[in-house]
Amino acid sequence: MVVGDISTGTDVLVVGAGPGGYVAAIRASQLGLDTTLVEKDAYGGVCLNRGCIPSKALITGADTAHGAANAEAMGVHADPAVDMAAMQSWKDGVVDQLTGGVEKLCKANGVNLVEGTAEFAGEGRVRVAHGGEGQGSETIEYEHAIIATGSRPIQIPGFEFDEEHVLSSQGALSLDTVPDELVVVGAGYIGMELSTTYAKLGTDVTVVEMLDSALPGYEDDIARTVRKRAEELGVEFHFGEGASEWEPHNDGVRVTTETEDGETSTYAADKVLVAVGRSPVTDTLGLDAIGLEPDENGFLATDEFGETAVDDVYAVGDVAGEPMLAHKASAEGEVVAEVIAGEPAAMDFQAIPAAVFTDPEIGTVGMTEAEAADAGFDPVVGKMPMNASGRALTLSEPEGFVRVVADSETGFVLGGQIVGPEASELVAELALAVEMGATLEDVGSTVHTHPTLSEAVMEAVKNAQGHAIHTLNR
Amino acid sequence: MVREFKLPDVGEGLTEAEIVTWLVEVGDTVTEDQPVAEVETDKAVVEVPSPVNGTVREILADEGEMVPVGNVIITFDVEGEEAEPVEESADDEDDEAVEDAVSAVSEADEEDENEGTAQQGGRTFAAPSARRLARELGVDIGAVSGSGPGGRVTEQDVRAHAEGADDEEPEPAVKSATSKVTDEAEEPATSAPASSAEAAGRDRTLAAPATRRVAEEEGVALDDVPTDETRDGEAFVTESQVREYAEAQRAAQAADAEAVTEEAPETETTAEGEVERIAYKGVRRTIGNAMERSKYTAPHVTHHEEVVVEDLVATRERLKPVAEERDSRLTYMPFVLKAVVAALKEHPILNSQLDEDAEEILVKHYYNIGVAVATDAGLMVPVVKGADEKDMLTLADDVNDLATKARERSIKREEMQGGTFSITNFGAVGGEYATPIINYPETAILGLGALKQRPVVEDGEVVAKHTIPLSLSIDHRIIDGADAARFVNTLSEYLENPELLLLE
Repeated sequence: MVVGDISTGTDVLVVGAGPGGYVAAIRASQLGLDTTLVEKDAYGGVCLNRGCIPSKALITGADTAHGAANAEAMGVHADPAVDMAAMQSWKDGVVDQLTGGVEKLCKANGVNLVEGTAEFAGEGRVRVAHGGEGQGSETIEYEHAIIATGSRPIQIPGFEFDEEHVLSSQGALSLDTVPDELVVVGAGYIGMELSTTYAKLGTDVTVVEMLDSALPGYEDDIARTVRKRAEELGVEFHFGEGASEWEPHNDGVRVTTETEDGETSTYAADKVLVAVGRSPVTDTLGLDAIGLEPDENGFLATDEFGETAVDDVYAVGDVAGEPMLAHKASAEGEVVAEVIAGEPAAMDFQAIPAAVFTDPEIGTVGMTEAEAADAGFDPVVGKMPMNASGRALTLSEPEGFVRVVADSETGFVLGGQIVGPEASELVAELALAVEMGATLEDVGSTVHTHPTLSEAVMEAVKNAQGHAIHTLNR
Repeated sequence: MVREFKLPDVGEGLTEAEIVTWLVEVGDTVTEDQPVAEVETDKAVVEVPSPVNGTVREILADEGEMVPVGNVIITFDVEGEEAEPVEESADDEDDEAVEDAVSAVSEADEEDENEGTAQQGGRTFAAPSARRLARELGVDIGAVSGSGPGGRVTEQDVRAHAEGADDEEPEPAVKSATSKVTDEAEEPATSAPASSAEAAGRDRTLAAPATRRVAEEEGVALDDVPTDETRDGEAFVTESQVREYAEAQRAAQAADAEAVTEEAPETETTAEGEVERIAYKGVRRTIGNAMERSKYTAPHVTHHEEVVVEDLVATRERLKPVAEERDSRLTYMPFVLKAVVAALKEHPILNSQLDEDAEEILVKHYYNIGVAVATDAGLMVPVVKGADEKDMLTLADDVNDLATKARERSIKREEMQGGTFSITNFGAVGGEYATPIINYPETAILGLGALKQRPVVEDGEVVAKHTIPLSLSIDHRIIDGADAARFVNTLSEYLENPELLLLE
């Protein structure tokens, strides 16, 4: 212990107040455990401050502007002007309300909040350095520790984030003005979400991607639908090109890319956004002190109870491995808190849904057809195109489809892929079906509201059963 | 090398089985899965397959012999197999043999099992609530066979599996038959047939409106009421079945630990005076049914004797502090247990059971002694297993441990099963002689009166001596009065001269 430290004890120490950490802390406290939550920056973590919430706020802003400007077919004529600074301050208001809410919830549930950076000091001990000179530090002794430090954007060589010329996703969500031109490095889900958003706000977006397609990890027809729409919005794609360097150019940047064959191209823009993925934050935690070693990608291996290789040290959220999703972090946080409290909890989720807020949105859960076949099922697939959905047409968003994958023998719903309006919401029904072990019959015989997009889910299921009404059966 | 083959566990709860026929002889060449013996469990004859390709080296059990599960019954010479620890390989084979034995009986049923289990592609199909329940009950949900649509595992399936009832689905031919018989045989305490208290958990049930009203009044889900009747291919339930099931449910619930806190008894005032009505149910009724069955099945005769135990009192006084130093509480019960086992060995007919169906008397060569314990909920009889193999202090600890568990209601069913002879110490409360009711299907029970000083005539003088009154009830179908008297004589000798127990 450092001289001058004060030492306190707690049952459960949670490091990181993101959607994994704060949920774990609240749940642990609800279960009667003395719980301390350490956060170095802002409550709500990446999700609330630099990820999900700010991006969805801007996406909504951009959609509103773009929708209004492109509604002539509906007889609406408008020429919206975007005040980016105002949009940012609205977004900040949303974020502040939510982060404030998290802090209040933690306090109301009796969680001890500590601001500072936590570092393991030895078995059962964490040292928290408070921010700023002379703020001191304290040692907290814990019975159980939960690591929930999340992730940070990956930097690529030569493209250090200065948030002036080279933007991380965080910087891209904080721009006060709409850039005229933007180069986006990476066509993964973050790159695609932000490209679409800025395209809708009027930016000329150029995407460079080292791989040969957008949204790797998603099936071709899904990626193609989203990419086609992005191209309609004016996004320009260059596949098979890796960003190699940039230099200041006029007031902006000039980005050089290189193909595998060594061919180079340059793209000039106001700014370059690097969105090539995220890596877990495990390097600043002093894990050596407790003999815990992350894997080569920085992740901490955990068992079904969220426990790491070190007894009484748990990990949740991005640090605990893919998928790096806020809702997975929260779900894990709850489980770990219950495990520590001695409840019969475990991470036995059958599937974790995922959503991409592109235009159109993507929502997926469980197995694809190929994955189901690989797992030994005899998959049956049902599909409903959005252009056959009354509601999708009245929204003027007819692109996309709902696809459901089931086991032909038992009818169990194994997964689903939705691309289309509100896919992020629609996927919840299929997630419930997968988690419950529901059959096609269960979902198809549930009466769905008309006229809604959710009918498309019912129709896809009926299509898999061979008796769809509103589409031709396969 | 030599490969040993142990008698596999051919059915749940079955501790032994009879070798009916050997299908091979020493020197025979056998191939893997070739049946080598027929073994009779309580109801089914099961073929036991060879676990290996090899030659029969030794046959270690005779036809007609009852063999405890786990005993080596046959050994094989296996060529070219590397020497490995015999114990381990035998164990491995055990598991296979169980499966093989089961599959040999009912391959068709196994196919059914696969269809009925919602486990595929590494997934078990079940709602999160069912998965959580499985964790709560410590059940591996992957091992539960599902009864829901497509074979989905329901909460009910998980509960059934936890209670062991699930076995009926996957392995009906062997397990259900044997487990039922052993349940009845080893647990006379079960009053209502297990099946009637078990929820049927159908999806759809037909019943008359009046029956539906009764179900509602009784708080019973019609889909859970067991029935064999059908109408138009759907399960049909009658009013009496609903009432029976409701009653069984109540009995089962009352037997639960939580149900110890009974609802307040009802009182009513008749012309003669106030009468309190207490429901005859739960553990009370279970005990009642067991007593009734025993009393009206086994003709009871009770033999009485008083035994002078001065030496026993002195010995126990001497040893008590020694036991305390070893953290044991030494009562008289371990001495009685020792003496009873010694006497049973000399008079084995008292350690027996009548198999009425087979018309055979089963004389047990193991000594599981039940010790009746009065609990708040009623009489329970935990069983000290293998009492002949335990020293005095172990017996003392076992008795104390089991009695505590019985009183706390934390005792497991298995700990009250498998008894071969029982002792009841009514003298602990006070009394001289009584007529103990046999813990059926055992055939004898020893009752102990209060140990205290009583007048004894010695050399024509009346002197005060410590004595214990003994009351031995026997099943007169099997045991004669003379057998009882001889047993009590032997027992008395041991209790009078406890040092004789040193030789046991």
